[in-house]
Amino acid sequence: MKSARVLWHLVKADFLTRVRRTSFLLTLAFTLYVGYETLVGHIVLRLGEYRGVYNSAWVGALMGVVTSAFLSLVGFYIVKGSILRDEQTRVGQILAATPMSKSFYMTAKWLGNFAVLASMVGVMAVAAVCMQMLHGEDRTLHWGALMSPLAFLALPAMAFVAALAVLWETMPVLRGGVGNVVYFFVWSGLLSLGIGAVMGHSGAIRTRAYFQDFTGMPTLMEQMRAALVRVDPGFQNEFSLTIASGVPVKRFLWNGMVWNGVQVAARLTWVAYGLLVALLAAVFFHRFDPARSWRGLRRRAEAAPERGEVIELKAARHLAEQSREGWRGMLTPLPRGEEKTRFFALVASELRLMVHGQKWWWYLVAAGLFVGCAAAPLNTGRTGVLVAAWLWPLLLWAPMGNREARWATESLVYASPHALVRQLPAAWLAGVMVALATGGGLAIRLAAAGDVHALVGWAVGGCFIPSLALAAGVWSGGSKFFEALYTVWWYVGALHHLPGLDYTGVVASSARPGVFAGLTLLLLGAAWMGRRAKLAYA
Amino acid sequence: MQLSIEKVGKCYRGRVWALRQFSLELRPGILGLLGPNGAGKTTLMSILATITRATEGSVLWNGVDLARDPNALRRVLGYLPQDFGVYPNLNAQEFLDYLAAVKGLDARVAQRRIDQLLDLVNLQDVRKRPLGGFSGGMKQRVGIAQALLNDPELLIVDEPTAGLDPEERVRFRNLLAELSGERIVILSTHIVSDVEATATDIALIAGGHLVAHAAPEELLRRVEGKVWEWVVPSADLHGVKEAYRVSSTARRSDGVHVRVLTDEPPVGAQPMAPTLEDAYLDALSLHRAAMVPA
Repeated sequence: MKSARVLWHLVKADFLTRVRRTSFLLTLAFTLYVGYETLVGHIVLRLGEYRGVYNSAWVGALMGVVTSAFLSLVGFYIVKGSILRDEQTRVGQILAATPMSKSFYMTAKWLGNFAVLASMVGVMAVAAVCMQMLHGEDRTLHWGALMSPLAFLALPAMAFVAALAVLWETMPVLRGGVGNVVYFFVWSGLLSLGIGAVMGHSGAIRTRAYFQDFTGMPTLMEQMRAALVRVDPGFQNEFSLTIASGVPVKRFLWNGMVWNGVQVAARLTWVAYGLLVALLAAVFFHRFDPARSWRGLRRRAEAAPERGEVIELKAARHLAEQSREGWRGMLTPLPRGEEKTRFFALVASELRLMVHGQKWWWYLVAAGLFVGCAAAPLNTGRTGVLVAAWLWPLLLWAPMGNREARWATESLVYASPHALVRQLPAAWLAGVMVALATGGGLAIRLAAAGDVHALVGWAVGGCFIPSLALAAGVWSGGSKFFEALYTVWWYVGALHHLPGLDYTGVVASSARPGVFAGLTLLLLGAAWMGRRAKLAYA
Repeated sequence: MQLSIEKVGKCYRGRVWALRQFSLELRPGILGLLGPNGAGKTTLMSILATITRATEGSVLWNGVDLARDPNALRRVLGYLPQDFGVYPNLNAQEFLDYLAAVKGLDARVAQRRIDQLLDLVNLQDVRKRPLGGFSGGMKQRVGIAQALLNDPELLIVDEPTAGLDPEERVRFRNLLAELSGERIVILSTHIVSDVEATATDIALIAGGHLVAHAAPEELLRRVEGKVWEWVVPSADLHGVKEAYRVSSTARRSDGVHVRVLTDEPPVGAQPMAPTLEDAYLDALSLHRAAMVPA
């Protein structure tokens, strides 16, 4: 009973801490936006050329799938960070001094994450009702049919994602930017695992498939397929959840899920998996021990106390000597003269700050990618090596625009002369230099081949990436948003060369240098305005 | 060299005024800014350091309004905030290199200056160690070094001795005293002894208002003849606290030595030489009494 009360207060405090932040309103706004896009038909669940009549069953299923599929990606990035926050606010140290076990704390964090995601599912539930009413194809509300997909598809998926966020935070390798990138691939892997279990099977799917898919789509697809085959025996088992593509012309009536014991058990299994993952996270959790925490730069921190004491004693002796001798002679007065901007010295400093701390193998891979761009066949360079070269520095770009906030150096940097007009452009230029350096090999090849159009596209791409990083960093105040956004953009746009989203600009069929040049300017303007708003004086 | 603060006020969200009608004229020397927690000291520091903008009033550096040209002050400003961070992956040398570039210092001049500053704050031996492994005191010394990078004419230090051990604190006071010759130093703190040791001028601030601005001697003069001490049994201490403004108490073998601020001497009490702490408490209590509506 006492444990339940403690758990309740931990989860409640965690939940309130998040929902009272402005960023939570943005999160809800995003959820509403997804709901709206679904409502107006920009996000469509299709079975070949069919879609269902917008009755409670279809609307509920659509909202359940959309929530389960999209929120499981975005939601992860939203909830990840609650343990880090406890560490940064030092609340964690207070909690660590209580008898609370690691597994208990992890369970509380998991439930806290889940509560936030569940509140977003709640928003989608309201959107589902609005959607059915506004479409008006069938205004009779069947609450069970409408809400059961959200309850059985979305909520278990959210429980699992909530636990993954906890696990990611406790594992040193995954808690930073690498983890944010890795999650995207884990998410897409999990999604394809589930969808793969149902696609390609024309008959009833195996029981195992229910347990393989965390979004719950196989369950849904199987029953929709069965209903559609009765209407159109020639249906070819095609499912898609598409954004802004052609709307199907045919409709069919689907009356909703019939849940059997196995299917419900399969969905609840994902909640159990979530609990297991949260408990697994307890194994890796450092319990706010500064010697084991990531922030303490582990090895160095371990060596610090003993050495630190010696240094403090030496400092005291040194200071005593200095105070006898006087301080003034130690400092040479600086000449006062006309101010010089020394902009490029600052760019060099920003560049050093950006690449500082990278291991030798990072540079080796970067050099390999440069050489690869230059040496590979031109077509391979365009479609493959450059794409890799512009993913490799992702974690270098991610702190742009938010480094000062993250490390609390704002008051030092912003009190400097011309902080806005010097430091922000210098940081951007350093980011551009990284992009141009890693992908520079291809520029040489393009110049040699005389492909001016692709060369321009390449240069625009190299400017676009740091502009996106800078704007995302300034406005979000952290690096997570850029890490998630860029990874998805890179995967969809650059890797698959999707026209309109391919920022690399070197593949003729998908390059849109004019669009990305405009976007770059817009992003730079946004970054400028965001930083301007943070400064008392420009 | 002159810093003029003219009727400055700062209002935060929810119509909370952290500073109101605050005026002060500063010339070279050390101004000790004293006040209780929440008095508005850090807000004033942030305004003077061009980090935040005053809601009303103006700040002029050598006659130039900060609102018109904040860079006129920033070029000659050294600022040590109360809370500041460092980039944990950089070492002290690299961090100071970076901030020197941000401040627009010439690379060669900066190198010599950084070298001298690392000597001054005795971080020369650890200049290549990542800042992430530094203790609080060492980090504070990096903060002191960065504040002095551009040989500032206006040095603003907000609670600079926080995190320093007593010995370091004394050394830092000496450093400030030596530095103050040709520059304006503003030392904000709630530790009276820090100010007592260094300040040429003291400003008392409470509830966002300037309570007093005077030389330490003048503040001490104001409480002359008002400080008394006598010995009371432990059992009577509560009653004494009810009746008088107690400045300090000390338990000894003969009873509790009570030091009070009062115009009328208590029976058996001895007059004492006032300290700055007495002057500070007296000024604050008079201010609070004046603020209570009749």
